[in-house]
Amino acid sequence: MAELSLKKYEFSKGAKGATWACIFVGVIVFLLGLKGDAERTWHAYLMSYFYFLSLGLGGVFFAAINHVTSAGWSVSIRRIAEAFSAFVPIAMILTIPLLFGTEDLFKWFNAEYAANDYLISKKTAYLNPTFFYIRLVTFFAIWIFFAHKLRKNSLDQDKDGDPSKTSSNLTYSVLFLLAFALSYSLFSVDWMMSLEAHWFSTMFGVYTFAGLFQSVLAMLALFIIYLIKKGTLQGFVSQDHLHDVAKYMWAFTIFYAYIAFSQFMLIWYTNLPEETLFFMMRIKGDWFWVSMALIIFKFIVPFLALAPRAAKRNFAHVRNVAILILLTQVLDNFWLVYPNLSTDKVIFGYIEIGLFLGFLGAFLLVVHTFLAKHNVVAIKDPRLEEALHHHV
Amino acid sequence: MAKRVSGVAGFWPDEYKLLDAAKKTYAAGYRQFDSLSPFPIHGMDDATGIKRSPIPWVTFFAGLTGASFGVWFTWWTSAVNYRLNVAGKPLGLLEALPGYIPIVFELTILFAALASVGAMFILNGLPKVDPPIIDPDITSHKFCLFIPETEDGYSAEKAENHLKSLGATEIKRVAEF
Repeated sequence: MAELSLKKYEFSKGAKGATWACIFVGVIVFLLGLKGDAERTWHAYLMSYFYFLSLGLGGVFFAAINHVTSAGWSVSIRRIAEAFSAFVPIAMILTIPLLFGTEDLFKWFNAEYAANDYLISKKTAYLNPTFFYIRLVTFFAIWIFFAHKLRKNSLDQDKDGDPSKTSSNLTYSVLFLLAFALSYSLFSVDWMMSLEAHWFSTMFGVYTFAGLFQSVLAMLALFIIYLIKKGTLQGFVSQDHLHDVAKYMWAFTIFYAYIAFSQFMLIWYTNLPEETLFFMMRIKGDWFWVSMALIIFKFIVPFLALAPRAAKRNFAHVRNVAILILLTQVLDNFWLVYPNLSTDKVIFGYIEIGLFLGFLGAFLLVVHTFLAKHNVVAIKDPRLEEALHHHV
Repeated sequence: MAKRVSGVAGFWPDEYKLLDAAKKTYAAGYRQFDSLSPFPIHGMDDATGIKRSPIPWVTFFAGLTGASFGVWFTWWTSAVNYRLNVAGKPLGLLEALPGYIPIVFELTILFAALASVGAMFILNGLPKVDPPIIDPDITSHKFCLFIPETEDGYSAEKAENHLKSLGATEIKRVAEF
């Protein structure tokens, strides 16, 4: 085998400046928004916060499932997912401002309202601020602990190549996946479903998870393409890896549609007022077109666009589909949050865009800094050899 | 069923040598030859110049047929031929579509899967009850390259010399494959 040497990834000054500019725009828009329309600003904040936290958690999740399955092919791209996971602690810090907006976001935060609303008064054992904060702290403690452990083992292995770190990560991954399934579902219930606390769906956690995994694979594909173009992954990641990531993306596009439809169909079929409420809000007025756009651009278009083998191996094509999926994931979060703020009319403007840019800047800054600081590939992983010979 | 052909078979002791031999045979201008091995070998498709199979297209269009048939059939049975009022659900094609989707989905899968398997059988010339045997060891530890007489400008001597030049450990003429 020819000697491979790993090039260092350079996070250029210009790119770094651009991410800081985005963060700056985000902060300015956030402050202006709070002065102007605080309620809308909190909704915009929640939307982008949830989006990028999910991408960060998706990074941990991707690394964990590959550890659990002892996957060989993904070793050379795993470090990118680990870089995403570095955003989770930052997301925790970004939760703090949001805690000031809870009264504007969640009606049930108001004790008087919760006590007087019959349906919500029955849910106060779960839906009360104290328990909400306890859950929030617990979730972040779990996520940050496992994200840190998985990342640290992987980074330490770069130095000594100790294979026992791989088996240690296997244990952590199994525990993380169990904890993640429950914590992310409940986190979605807390921050997304309880925006309309009368409504409930037992599939909601799977729905947000489907979006999480679909979008994290799209982000992964974008980073792979970007780093290959930069020449950093030369010899470590090939077209075959991209093919498999695109295949994954395609599979979870179908998974998303399957889950979204299963949730909708059961509610449509049963036709109970407190369940149909959620979809009634989303087929009224302009929201109908947003719902249709989700079906078309989050499922049908990527499904057809990624079906042929040649499409999954074409860099420019996969890049375009990945961008489409990431944009529709924004639309999905928008669709989950905004009908609670504005019935009938779709509102979208500089507040939403500005805050999204702010979070995007923070996310990219964290990920690129991580990649520039560490090896872009887990170079001493015992299964790296397998990844280098990956062939589809 | 294609008629049986004769030709020349060369044998190698491992898959790397076979892969290498296949590449060189393709480079030498052979197009009809085939490789036979106990297990699938990565890269062999490219080495022997095998084109992509048309099966994905069969799957896609069979799936599309299944989906269209499913939409029409569920609608026809529940809204046209024998109108059923189920819990006051609407009967119009668009209003009732969510209720039809599970059946549409199942029929898409059914049509696509059966058509794919069927197409695979036809394209492979299956079922073949008594396939001719070049060498029984191909199923356990020998790796074989077979050059058929249908090859352009074929002559048994030429093919034998070619396989010999590639380092085949054993060469034999096969009468009926």
